[in-house]
Amino acid sequence: MSASTTYIVKRQGKRPTEAFKAEKLHASIVAVCLSVQAPIGQAEATASSVCNEVTVWLDEKPEVTSEDLRRKAAIVLEKYHQDAAHLYKHHHMVI
Amino acid sequence: MDAINPLATIALAGLIHASFQLSISTLTLLGSHTVGARASKRRLLKLIYGFSFGAVLMTLLTVSSVTLWVQIAFGNMVPPLAWATTCGLLLGLSVAVWIFYYRKEPGTSLWVPRGLARYLMSRTKATHVTAEAFGLGITSVVAEMLFIIGPIAVTALLLIELEPILQLTGLAVYTLTSLLPFLFVAALISNGYNIGKIQRWRAANKGFLQFIAGCGLIVLAFCVYVNQVSQGVAIGGGGL
Repeated sequence: MSASTTYIVKRQGKRPTEAFKAEKLHASIVAVCLSVQAPIGQAEATASSVCNEVTVWLDEKPEVTSEDLRRKAAIVLEKYHQDAAHLYKHHHMVI
Repeated sequence: MDAINPLATIALAGLIHASFQLSISTLTLLGSHTVGARASKRRLLKLIYGFSFGAVLMTLLTVSSVTLWVQIAFGNMVPPLAWATTCGLLLGLSVAVWIFYYRKEPGTSLWVPRGLARYLMSRTKATHVTAEAFGLGITSVVAEMLFIIGPIAVTALLLIELEPILQLTGLAVYTLTSLLPFLFVAALISNGYNIGKIQRWRAANKGFLQFIAGCGLIVLAFCVYVNQVSQGVAIGGGGL
């Protein structure tokens, strides 16, 4: 089974389940890297690395929750940029 | 010299107001999403200025309105009973701050009801318009009213006993001190400071901020008791 057929359960099933899209994850990692003032090149490179590792992690899984996906992406991101990882991990817990 | 004591107490009340964090949380969220969306520096500055102007204006209007209501109710002399009630309010708020100001989960999430927090977050992330940022600045002050009403009540009671020119000075002192950390964070974000570092610092020190806010309310209650309640009872022969 490839990562493209992994389904993401969003908000504990309150929103429709959708197939994993690496480009959405990539865009969100780029955005969070930019928001901590990382240069655009570094943000793109970091996002690509994170997407690759997360895609490998998803490879064996038919279904994961969006929280799991975010948690895993944050763990991988922490290796590249700790401030970005903190913002990414806690983005629902700011207010 | 008579004005120094009330103005110093107003400054203390303003600093306690400053230790509440909803406006700063909303501002960091606004900054991180605007920068992350590759918006221009000009748009970022416009949103931050709009938000800051909303917060400053709402603080000024709230203090002015409460002062007006208090003046209509008491005239220019505050009865000791009102001071004693305010002391009780401050002590109650200090316990409430210690118990539930920050949620017991990672990050910097506050006591704010989740529905309101979700609304604030979704609008803050989506806003591209200065007018909406201005409205969010206003909302962030209103949403924190439960906690800031204590320091604002003390300020209003002190202001009505001052001369008109000193009332304006007191209003300015309160607004400036209550928004100092907020304006500091706004200046940092405007100048391209790493928002992740700000958030990590806030998350790491939230327990300290919570403790300081609660202690500040107790100190303010003590000041009010010593300067107003005990003196009022002594002079007035027990107006309670």
